[in-house]
Amino acid sequence: MKTSKRVIALCLTLVLCLALAACGGKGDGPKKATIGVGFFSASGNATVATKEFLAGLEEKLNVTFQYTVLSQTDEAQNISKVQELIAAGCDGIIITMDMGMDSILAECKAADVYVAGFLCDFDSSYRNNYDGVFKHPNFLGSVADGDCGEDVTRGYAFFDSLIEYNEKHTDAPIKHVSMCTFPSYAFPLQQTYVKQFTEKLDEYNTANPDKAIEYDPYDTDTDVLQFRAMDSTYFSKHDGVDAIISFCSGTMVYPSMVSAGKDKTIKLFASGYGDGDNAVFGSKGAFQTEMVSGVEAIVYPLVLLLNKINGVEFPDQPAEAERHSCASFIINSDEDMALFEKNIYLTAKAEDALLSADDVYNLTAFGNENATYADLVAFLSHMTIDDLK
Amino acid sequence: MPEKVKTKAPEKEEKEKVTPAAFLKNHATELTSYLGLVLVIILFFATNTNRLMYNLSSVIQSAAVYSVIALGAVFVYSMGFMDISIGQQVGVYVILMILCNNAIGGWPGLIVGMIAVLALALACGALNGSLGVILGLPSVVTSLFLMFFFTGVQMLLIEGTGENTIYLQDVTVRPEDRDMYSVMLVAIIIVVALVATYFFKYTKLGKYTRAIGANETTARQSGVNSIKWRMAGYMALGVCVALGSFVLLTRTGTAGKGTGSGYHMDIMICLILGGMPLKGGMKSKISAALVGSFTYTLLSSVLTTMHVDLNMINFVKAIIFLVIVLMTCRKKDGVLPR
Repeated sequence: MKTSKRVIALCLTLVLCLALAACGGKGDGPKKATIGVGFFSASGNATVATKEFLAGLEEKLNVTFQYTVLSQTDEAQNISKVQELIAAGCDGIIITMDMGMDSILAECKAADVYVAGFLCDFDSSYRNNYDGVFKHPNFLGSVADGDCGEDVTRGYAFFDSLIEYNEKHTDAPIKHVSMCTFPSYAFPLQQTYVKQFTEKLDEYNTANPDKAIEYDPYDTDTDVLQFRAMDSTYFSKHDGVDAIISFCSGTMVYPSMVSAGKDKTIKLFASGYGDGDNAVFGSKGAFQTEMVSGVEAIVYPLVLLLNKINGVEFPDQPAEAERHSCASFIINSDEDMALFEKNIYLTAKAEDALLSADDVYNLTAFGNENATYADLVAFLSHMTIDDLK
Repeated sequence: MPEKVKTKAPEKEEKEKVTPAAFLKNHATELTSYLGLVLVIILFFATNTNRLMYNLSSVIQSAAVYSVIALGAVFVYSMGFMDISIGQQVGVYVILMILCNNAIGGWPGLIVGMIAVLALALACGALNGSLGVILGLPSVVTSLFLMFFFTGVQMLLIEGTGENTIYLQDVTVRPEDRDMYSVMLVAIIIVVALVATYFFKYTKLGKYTRAIGANETTARQSGVNSIKWRMAGYMALGVCVALGSFVLLTRTGTAGKGTGSGYHMDIMICLILGGMPLKGGMKSKISAALVGSFTYTLLSSVLTTMHVDLNMINFVKAIIFLVIVLMTCRKKDGVLPR
């Protein structure tokens, strides 16, 4: 009897030990982490939606987020903000600005904190300081706001949107357009958009002389917006245009159109999305095209950071940090806008995002042993208007 | 005449007998500043359970630029004046040093840049100090002119490069070891503080600038050449702005369109937190620069480590700033500098 009791006790102890071991293995989930996010703006749809999306991930990924706003022009301020995030206990930082990167990475290395980029192509660092940034052990990579590097196609996308508009509006097609951009020192790719757009338009006009669309040559004096609202002289310089192709944000153009009384006569094809643009989109107003990067793209830097913090890596993890383009929601019609209005970008509800917390967990190397870097990158190309259907 | 002697003697005796209450009343501003600094130091050590050394060196990095510039600004604020072009000057000076480095290469380029910046800073100080007297303008107006001028120059210089950010090339101005860098910054602060203290306490420069701040008309009637000493005060600030720009450059290694923005306000806040009377005068103290710079920087760090929402930190700082101004201002003299 005594022996059998001992055997039973031994078996129970063994079962208990096994159960504890099992709890200590797969079941204890990811390590508790704090991620700092340095936005480009303190307010607006993109910021609010990103915060909501991240809030929806906190419990599943065992992560908390700390937010700040970075400067577009002052690198010292960005370094201070990064230091503040590190002081606040962040284990990883997502940044949206490519300024003062050498010092930021030195700070992160000293504090053993990792950095990744969001909606930033890090073009200045890529061209001028590749070794210092992309080969730095604390920099994990970045996802751009739309295209970057060799992937640039936005100029073609604007051309396609213009032709799509004309095909839908054969009674009143657009016959004359002008363009505008931000300064090339800040957004060099926008010059490529101009080139792509005009090349395509030239080809189209040669092949379709009866449907030719005239364009005003790009003028660096009037067509470059210095991060300020478009000047009213733009409309006298480009008198008679039916549409403006704004490779920069439409928020810099539309208010000036309203002030000049041009919002009823000129159509606007623009990058970005400003608060309330849906009220003046398509049949309701001047905006005919808007190109927006989904806030869900933040999973790229987030997953890379969480993998590092949890001490795991994808089997196909590249040796050096990379930057990737992400697909844009190209909104060309009322139907497209109706779809976009149901996305987290406008609803600010985590359940309306393209990815749930479980989906993001499955993209991580610690949450899914079959997860790969290629899967993570592939997601970035699945953020189109069709993916919202 | 004998009556006058009789009335003065007891006053002198009374002054010599300083009661604790009188001492507190006379030194309320300094005591408030020192207490503020002690409080944020205690909070800093209490809240920094992790990464204490890292955060300490971050504080030194941020405070170094403020301290160096604020030490120079004491000379101007002690006259009851202010300079709102400091931020734009810092921006242009950092850009100029980088451009010289890029054009000539290495340390020689950087040294040429530093000399050019120093000369420019002295010239700006002389201009700022003299124009106000010659044209009878308030100091804010003359520095406003310089602010707009340097804003334009900064835009033109950066846009001329075709880049959003420019970098130092072929030269390392910041030691790779973070602790070494902190030691270097502390050494710079100490040296500048000692030099500034000497000039402020033991030379005509400090005495006359304070006298101008107390009462410019009286100072002038007592034989103080107000143009000369106003220029000298502003030139002292210029030297410190040039040096502060170099310290900033060691921290960032880069510059852009927004480099230096907001420094003029930060310096003013540092000085007020440090107990500098906004109207200047004989109560001006060089220690205000150091106490204020470290209080300001430590306050940011403490609020962050206490997990105050980062977007609320400026709001909290503004409230503290307002409270200190209201507590320390001399109501009969008004609040703002001339």
